[in-house]
Amino acid sequence: MDKVLVFVETRGDEPRKASLELLCEAEKLAASGKFTVEAVCFGAMSDTLKGKLLASARKLVRFTDPELAAYSPEGYARALAGYAAETGARLVLAGATGTGRDFLPRVAVMLGTGMVSDVTGANWFDEPMTFVRPMFGGKVFAEIAAPASPVVVTARPNSFAMDMPEGVSGEYEERAAGALADAIHTRVVRVEETKGDAVDLTEADLIVAGGRGLKAAENFKLIEDLAAAIGGTVGATRSVVDAKWRDQADQIGKSGKTVSPKLYIGAGISGAIHHIMGMDTSKVVLVVNRDPNAIIFNYANYGIVGDLFEVLPAMTEEIGKRRERG
Amino acid sequence: MNILVLVKQVPDPEALVEIASSGKDLNIEPKFAINLFDEFALEEALRVREKHGGKVKAISLGGSKAIEALRTAIAMGADEAMLIEDEAFAGGDGYNTALALSKALEKETFDIVLAGRQAIDADRGEVPQMVAQFLGLPHVGVVVKLDISDGKAVAESSLEGAKEVVEVALPAVFTAQKGLNEPRVPLITGVMKAMKVQIPKVAVEDLGLTKDVAAPENSKTKIVRYLPPKKRPAVQLIPGEAREAAAEAVRILIDVERVI
Ligand SMILES: Cc1cc2nc3c(=O)[nH]c(=O)nc-3n(C[C@H](O)[C@H](O)[C@H](O)COP(=O)(O)OP(=O)(O)OC[C@H]3O[C@@H](n4cnc5c(N)ncnc54)[C@H](O)[C@@H]3O)c2cc1C
Ligand SMILES: Nc1ncnc2c1ncn2[C@@H]1O[C@H](COP(=O)(O)O)[C@@H](O)[C@H]1O
Repeated sequence: MDKVLVFVETRGDEPRKASLELLCEAEKLAASGKFTVEAVCFGAMSDTLKGKLLASARKLVRFTDPELAAYSPEGYARALAGYAAETGARLVLAGATGTGRDFLPRVAVMLGTGMVSDVTGANWFDEPMTFVRPMFGGKVFAEIAAPASPVVVTARPNSFAMDMPEGVSGEYEERAAGALADAIHTRVVRVEETKGDAVDLTEADLIVAGGRGLKAAENFKLIEDLAAAIGGTVGATRSVVDAKWRDQADQIGKSGKTVSPKLYIGAGISGAIHHIMGMDTSKVVLVVNRDPNAIIFNYANYGIVGDLFEVLPAMTEEIGKRRERG
Repeated sequence: MNILVLVKQVPDPEALVEIASSGKDLNIEPKFAINLFDEFALEEALRVREKHGGKVKAISLGGSKAIEALRTAIAMGADEAMLIEDEAFAGGDGYNTALALSKALEKETFDIVLAGRQAIDADRGEVPQMVAQFLGLPHVGVVVKLDISDGKAVAESSLEGAKEVVEVALPAVFTAQKGLNEPRVPLITGVMKAMKVQIPKVAVEDLGLTKDVAAPENSKTKIVRYLPPKKRPAVQLIPGEAREAAAEAVRILIDVERVI
């Protein structure tokens, strides 16, 4: 049977969503009988977190080395590649999050193998395995064959279904990679949380984004209010970031982040191709623009031609009413 | 401070990209530019040089046309440039690109390698980390601030949701993210210089590689075919004045699409 390793990223007591999605996909591989799956985790683990992960994987391996308490590309890569080599893994998977995309390329080189980054689909049972990934900001998709073994893959968040069957209860193992100290040459001096508790854009299910049509930084309150009402994350266009109305971390598009939410609501955004490239894989798109000819309507499922200063507060209010009614 | 900058020539962000009828090739409008993120890398290299002295050398792997990206680098202020000319390696996967670049870097003396966060053609974001691994060097990815002093660097890395301040000894590799700086526009004197300068070309054989490494049958990953993006159905406009339309939109999201 072929071994699949899924690198699981965690934040406090929570596994990251991109990791859980991959564990769901991996469970299907395990259920097929062709693969065995192990979830691999670094750093601290509370009982709560452990419980959540053991319900999502048939085997969970945690590396306890103190050097893995904080992220370092070299330390993480060494530990993961070392374990992949030792177990003869056929497949090494991680979410295409900032962290996943940062260190998996090093894993590929350590294993002397190829990698496929940011995939949105996979044919795990093909020989060789094939993957689908966007290129040119989503203008085209490429089908990639990966004949080398193992195959190192990062998967775009929100690409695989979150559908873990009931009753999974994995075994737990602790290990040490050993000899990491000499391999690590970067040191995290401090971490500044910029986003509080809101789900990061790249993993968000629900996004409300604003553009220059908001007219001023303080008017983003309208976007924030609607986002809060639906439990979503705020996004922005580049013009708005360049005008310093929003932080760079909020920028969606070619030179910002790529998002794939279940719902993207955009207001006061014209729909420049550079912005579209960052959001076109969103499932449902609703846009508000007062210009009936705005390009963004070509990339939307639903459109309201109107003034965002009236439409957004009305939507926020309506959601409140619906929630009250239950 | 010797600074190397990895620059890739890519189709202009606005260039039309179409799938050829065979499904196995792309027809790309022949408008080219230096990769967006590599401009931030170049600008940062020039700023480090302005502060600490030294040299900036731009290196590209590509076909003969990639010389244009290197001319832009010289026009912006790079001291030197070098083209590794090989279509097959340049058109191959991230692994082969990184392999060829790392072989070239092995022959250089440097303190800092700056690269872009991602090349906006293949959108892989793999090559600089792979180069770092091939060379046994540390890297800091997605950098929005870089300070150099006493043989080390303090870099601010913009991971999702958080900014990490990372210290690393040199030599090291950094990948530039938007927000790091505002790239300068070349001065006319720079453009004149760039037009005249001789840019050396090397072949992969000069780097100790053989062409067959990048042959499709030997590549670790390869593109089988291209697929068009999924088309969204035509937009459904929600009629009515603002309040009515807003209420209807909320109803659709809750009752029809069931996304909130
Ligand atoms: C190389 C490159 C990379 C880029 N990368 C990105 C990127 O990553 N992300 C990105 O977003 N952009 C990017 N851009 C910029 C992009 O081309 C556009 O300039 C930008 O997206 C436009 O932002 P906008 O829609 O907020 O502003 P505008 O284009 O000015 O649009 C504002 C819209 O608001 C509407 N509006 C105004 N008032 C109201 C109102 N009261 N009610 C309703 N609607 C209203 C207007 O009709 C208009 O459509 C990039 C550009 C380049 C050249
Ligand atoms: N062919 C190339 N020549 C020079 N630099 C490259 C090349 N390919 C990638 N790079 C560098 O690596 C960065 C990331 O590229 P990629 O991994 O292809 O997304 C780019 O922004 C460049 O700095």
